[in-house]
Amino acid sequence: MKFLKQHLYIIAGLLALGACKPEIKTPQPSRGSADFSRFIAVGNSLTAGYADGGLYLAGQQVSFPNLIANQMKLVGGGPFSQPLFSTDQANGSGYLTLTGFNADGTPIIKQVTTNLAIRGVVTIPGFGNATLYTKYTGDINNYGVPGIKLQQILYAPYGNLNGYFERMLPGNSPTNSTTYLDFVTAKPFTFFSSWLGDNDALSYATSGGAGDVLTDKAQFNQLYQVLIARLTAGGQKGVVATVPDVTSIPYFNTVTVGAIVAGVQKANPAVTGIYINALTSASTTGTYAPRIATAKDLILLSFSTAKIGQPVTTQLGPLPYGLTPLTPIDNQYVLDQNEVALTEAYVSSYNQTIKTVAATYGLAVFDAFAYLNQIKANGIAVNGVNLTSNYISGGLFSLDGVHLTPQGYAFISNGIISVINAKYGSSIPFVNVANYTGVKFP
Amino acid sequence: MRKLVLILCLLSPILALAQGFQVNLGGQQQIGMGHTGTGLLQDGASVFFNPGAVAMLPENYVQAGVSPLLFKSDFNPLNTGTQYHTADKVAYPFNAYVVWGPKSSFWKIGLGVYTPFGGLTDWGNTWQGKYVLESLDLKAIYFQPTLSIKLTDYLSIGGGFVYNRGSVDLKQALPLSDASGQQIGQAELKGSGKGYGWNAGIYFKTESGVSVGISHRSQVTTTISDGNALFTVPASLGSSFPQPNTFNASIPLPATNSIGFGFYPTKKWTLALDVNVVGWSVYKALAFDYKSNTSSLHDSYFPRNYKDAVVLRGGAQYKSSDNLSLRFGGGYASTAVSDGYVTPEAPDANRFYVTGGIGYRLGHHLNVDASFEYEHLMARTQTNIQSQLAGTFETNVYIPGLSLSYHW
Repeated sequence: MKFLKQHLYIIAGLLALGACKPEIKTPQPSRGSADFSRFIAVGNSLTAGYADGGLYLAGQQVSFPNLIANQMKLVGGGPFSQPLFSTDQANGSGYLTLTGFNADGTPIIKQVTTNLAIRGVVTIPGFGNATLYTKYTGDINNYGVPGIKLQQILYAPYGNLNGYFERMLPGNSPTNSTTYLDFVTAKPFTFFSSWLGDNDALSYATSGGAGDVLTDKAQFNQLYQVLIARLTAGGQKGVVATVPDVTSIPYFNTVTVGAIVAGVQKANPAVTGIYINALTSASTTGTYAPRIATAKDLILLSFSTAKIGQPVTTQLGPLPYGLTPLTPIDNQYVLDQNEVALTEAYVSSYNQTIKTVAATYGLAVFDAFAYLNQIKANGIAVNGVNLTSNYISGGLFSLDGVHLTPQGYAFISNGIISVINAKYGSSIPFVNVANYTGVKFP
Repeated sequence: MRKLVLILCLLSPILALAQGFQVNLGGQQQIGMGHTGTGLLQDGASVFFNPGAVAMLPENYVQAGVSPLLFKSDFNPLNTGTQYHTADKVAYPFNAYVVWGPKSSFWKIGLGVYTPFGGLTDWGNTWQGKYVLESLDLKAIYFQPTLSIKLTDYLSIGGGFVYNRGSVDLKQALPLSDASGQQIGQAELKGSGKGYGWNAGIYFKTESGVSVGISHRSQVTTTISDGNALFTVPASLGSSFPQPNTFNASIPLPATNSIGFGFYPTKKWTLALDVNVVGWSVYKALAFDYKSNTSSLHDSYFPRNYKDAVVLRGGAQYKSSDNLSLRFGGGYASTAVSDGYVTPEAPDANRFYVTGGIGYRLGHHLNVDASFEYEHLMARTQTNIQSQLAGTFETNVYIPGLSLSYHW
């Protein structure tokens, strides 16, 4: 009994010692020379928190501007409002979800079609159909508009054509005439992030060079000057991001020519290659001709390999899809070698513009191009997790193969915080990436 | 195509046996004196400290002690103000010895059961390093039969055989979320194993009255066979993490070479000095071999590249009366873990410690000894080469202890 009593004393004593935790002294975070009291985010889908092929509430909540704004609150940042979808319409535009794996290990992906925020479709003469979403009327700090190009920031009718922009505007399509640049600069702000320019190259690339065009380099330069001049007109500081290398994302690297040929050869060993309709020179005025695909031609994630070998009617009778020069894989599914070179030349020019203008205005630069290429080459370990550019398993990219997972956005946020801190002598604390998920598995 | 989609390859269970795992709580009297004892004749704990001294012990002993240990670590991730603390969990290192020999004989035999290595670290499943480690419970119990022989009145030698019973329970989060976004992925490696070793020592008294002990405790490579490898993952990934699964691993518990001195300036005072060199450099890497491998679950190999560590210890005992002894001491240990290899299960760093103790004679044959130790591991800011977990660790260790010994 006495021993038990002593034992209890020991335990009581240990619990008391529990109070003697070590405590590491950390410096008080500082805003440095920047003022984060009203931070706005200007950009496209990456800024909006777009993921899994859609914009939806859960994605908006982990947008990189929102994550950064939460950290900025520790160094004098103000409230940060986003044009969130309501919880009733949380699925917004709808998005892709992983429902399982086929026996061969390929993912089964379905579209979420419930609880959407779609309010209708409007036909704009000379443009086509625009899907409209439930209006948002509150304060806005995050002006991310999925799909917007730098080329469109001064285009007055744009608020009628892009449903994600239209929902932020008071008027209904097709009555809007406020340009994006006017809209985002209408209210005073003290700090900004600008990640524009991706779609000026990416829209061309994700359409296989068939459905969109690259923004002219000179026009890009001129518009970027206008953009940054306006954003810094009141002496505001900010951070800008470069355009990633399109070939660094899984949308272009998951389905490969080699894998397709190997698959076909299992059924028909005589097949030695697949045909694509390829650009004959790396020029916007080049022409297209069929040829055998090589490893340097990128097949898009949107391509269904089941199409290969299906009979196609031609002047010579039915021929197998993708396996003859008369039945090449459609242009829209392939970014061929010359299209890649063309896109890279444009992206390189855009990034030169972005860095030059940022230097002129003394802005912080997040070099997304270098960052994502580095990860594509080597992967990166973060808190014990190895992140790579691989589709689904890599942890960074969402199911659309272009946009990021919550984990990816959190990771990018720290990259952006780093350059802000370095430029302005601030010490915005990092986001804990381990709190955020990669792709969700059923 | 499965490969294309599912090369997760993320599991990196880590078992770093840093100084933090060498607990050295060999006996309450010795703890009170700053963990010295290689060159002293205090009690039956000589079986652990220096088997060569056992034959010189003035009496026979049956004794047991326990040293509840609270390992309190703090982690501050780089570039944040956030602090993560380990949970308040108490480990119970213990020691028990029997030493017997005929009165005035030249030999004694002994048996020691003690826990020279062990660790209990629980960071929880929400902290920043959860993908490196959630919790680790590591135990090693050494059983050591010993024989010691007095060669002359001034010189004795001894040695023992060591059988180690070890167990490990390690939990680590896996970066896998279910359909609702819950981060459910977890790996648990749980198993027990055994290892063998030996120790030997020599003890002599010099003409100047100084006593000297030298001892060697060998490396004990502990092998865990068929431990359970339990994985909690979303259902669609079940085939990538087959269950049930087992693992094998082998962990070298390092050798320790010690030299110790005892000084007796007056009848009431005993002063002691010990130096240990711990052969951590044997710990080159940690490898886990899973019975069922998949494209997502590879055998793993993690470089550790530890370096030998040196510990300096000093202590004193003051016999204030026939019944009461007061003890104090302290020491300094250099870290075994090189920069870039610090991990959260034992966030090792250079450390110092101070100890105190009281011994009281309850009767002719019965002693009670209490000890207390405080250890501080210096703040160490590190980015782990493998996990890239970056931040500052700082640790305090609190170890009260109590033992009873019967001697005749």
